[in-house]
Amino acid sequence: MLGGGRRIPGGGKGVADVAELAGHLPGLPAEAVERETLRFSAWGRCVEVAAPLLTHDQVTALTAHVRRSRERFLAGLRTEEIADILDRAVRTLLDRSNPRRRRAEELLPAVTGYDPETVRLGLTSYLKTFRGAQLSAFVAEDFANPRMLDGFQPLRKGGYGRAFGPALTAHIWAGNVPGLPLWSLVSGLLVKSANIGKLPSAEPLFAGWFAEAVAEIEPRLADCIGIVWWKGGDEDRQQALLDAADLVLAYGGGATLERIRARVPITARFLPFGHKLSFGTISAAALDADKAACVARQAALDIVRYDQHGCYSPHVFYVERGGAVGPRAFAGYLGGELAALSRRFPRRALDADEAADLAASRQDAELRSVVSDSVDIAGDPEGAWSVVFAEDDPALAPGGSNRTVKVAAVDRLDAAIPEIAKHAPWLQTVGVAASPEELFRLSALLGEAGASRICALGEMTAPEAGWHHDGRFNLLDLVRIVEIERGAEAAAEDFAEYRD
Amino acid sequence: MDFRDRIILVTGASRGIGAAIAKAFAAEGGRVAVNYLRNAEAAEAVAAECRALGGDGWAVRADVGDADAVAAMFAGVEREFGGIDAVVNNAFLAYAFDPATRTPFWDLDWNDYERQMEGSLRGCFNVSRAAIPAFARRAKGSIVNIATDLVERPSIPYHEYTTAKAAVVAFSRNLAVELGPRGIRVNCVAPGLVYPTEGSRDTSEATMERIVSDTPLRRIAAPEDIAGPVLFLASDWSRFMTGQTLYVDGGLVMR
Repeated sequence: MLGGGRRIPGGGKGVADVAELAGHLPGLPAEAVERETLRFSAWGRCVEVAAPLLTHDQVTALTAHVRRSRERFLAGLRTEEIADILDRAVRTLLDRSNPRRRRAEELLPAVTGYDPETVRLGLTSYLKTFRGAQLSAFVAEDFANPRMLDGFQPLRKGGYGRAFGPALTAHIWAGNVPGLPLWSLVSGLLVKSANIGKLPSAEPLFAGWFAEAVAEIEPRLADCIGIVWWKGGDEDRQQALLDAADLVLAYGGGATLERIRARVPITARFLPFGHKLSFGTISAAALDADKAACVARQAALDIVRYDQHGCYSPHVFYVERGGAVGPRAFAGYLGGELAALSRRFPRRALDADEAADLAASRQDAELRSVVSDSVDIAGDPEGAWSVVFAEDDPALAPGGSNRTVKVAAVDRLDAAIPEIAKHAPWLQTVGVAASPEELFRLSALLGEAGASRICALGEMTAPEAGWHHDGRFNLLDLVRIVEIERGAEAAAEDFAEYRD
Repeated sequence: MDFRDRIILVTGASRGIGAAIAKAFAAEGGRVAVNYLRNAEAAEAVAAECRALGGDGWAVRADVGDADAVAAMFAGVEREFGGIDAVVNNAFLAYAFDPATRTPFWDLDWNDYERQMEGSLRGCFNVSRAAIPAFARRAKGSIVNIATDLVERPSIPYHEYTTAKAAVVAFSRNLAVELGPRGIRVNCVAPGLVYPTEGSRDTSEATMERIVSDTPLRRIAAPEDIAGPVLFLASDWSRFMTGQTLYVDGGLVMR
């Protein structure tokens, strides 16, 4: 069997039943573009993606094209006009009868390996956060006066200010969660930047489809978007993009980000988004005999969605002792829910390395459970999920992922904070089930420890519109503010034709 | 369960639950007549899968609401396979299980009920009538009728659909009494919401989550989940059961 949703190295032997062009290359003649075929296979489908492999000069020409298009069109749009175009494009992708949406539902499971239902539901829930009203929330979250993006607005200290986005933003995307590039691409467009995004090899389709959807609504806006691809680490092509960009947004592991940082010209800004670690905390208040099973279901959904491959996916659940349902019993409920969910949302097939990692981590837990009463492991015999219960080991560490989770018992949730704080630079989402009083008290501790997003269980993988990604400002971080000082305005009065 | 050389007719088997049942019989060696009404291509595909699974499959078109067509179908099954051991009445009139767009009672008229009775009960009637002579010759046979757990617990009042299915349950019990002395068993399988099928395609996630949260086994049935109890009732493992209804809904209904 071919690996589930894995790129088949060296070409692979499977005969593709679907071929798809990736990328979006306004201004470049199609026949001049070399293509490299990426093959994917999962869920009985074999998909070939013809990814564009531009020369250094073609990358440079593309950067010039999108810059020019921005000057001619995008720079003169009001933010709400941009949001309106994006809203219309997103709505076409929300429409399940739309051919592009159908193609996404058909191909993304084979490409990413995630099961068709996860992809379908994930796409809708994700795209909903980019509709017009949600985009306004996005803008309003960062700008008390959103009109600052369109013209000079009075500042509280006096004078006037206006926010300018970078002329060209480069995005180096990573990961295989479908559609992830949309966050930064939409942010770039809302601040009127031309954008060139480098597709992740693990999901090289969605960003291009989005650009095409925009092109159908407003080709002049799509002309400000370039979607390219090269193999990760191809420094020559990457350099052509970095040299032209005013701002570089990069996603990936620490080593990748270091390499990119070293090559970003000193005149450009660099915003790295590294790997993150997320987890859940469950208070005894949420563990009465009635609620515990529901809480376990929500936690299981967070684990199942994208098989813990998102930065927001939980790897550990801290469960407080003292509830009617104790941590060990909660781990049992969690296992039951994972088993039930695996019927409708089967885990993606693993490649040999992943399967070996999973088997090793499971074997390790099994060994510990044999020598110690304080460790228990429950899991599907075929490895579709496993829950490791630890009575006295509150360490926070990413597990094997792919539906492997640790339930750590603690006397009080506060007791886990020192362990959590050890990972401060990597912390992101915390799913919390607790009373309102506890929620605020815990959030203060978790924030202090380094976490940036507190959410309800069951919503860990679906951040709400306008969230502050890794605690940062989505739009504000991209722009520079140009100020007209009070003095300049006063001085100008002297030069008015109508001065008395 | 061994169905080698057993001949089973499954009505409405080109897709959804019927297709899953047909394939499950075939995987146990059964020779399956895959009845369909409209989608010949899908039925042929199911029949091909039956053959690939180690059993036999033969697609046969017939409107189960039409007694003559049903008689012709049985003649065909006899010709193709040389007999019949069990029938599964799964065909029903297309129905959208969408709580948001269901028709409230005051907007239904009697014709809606009649259509569902025709769709559910008439097919059971025609197929059972046609199967009895062959069953009676050997004083052995099993009829399995697909009902719904809504009969016992109408979580959502799909009035005309559920009423017709309740008639199928009563029909089956009467027939069980009538045919028991002749060695023919009649039972029902009553699934809960099954997803995905043509009928449940538009059922919202919220509805499914609501049902799941009340279901001890914590999920919605897949078409394949229904097959096991159907195979059991069609097999000799259930030889001393008749007139029964097995609820296959993860424990939502218990009785």
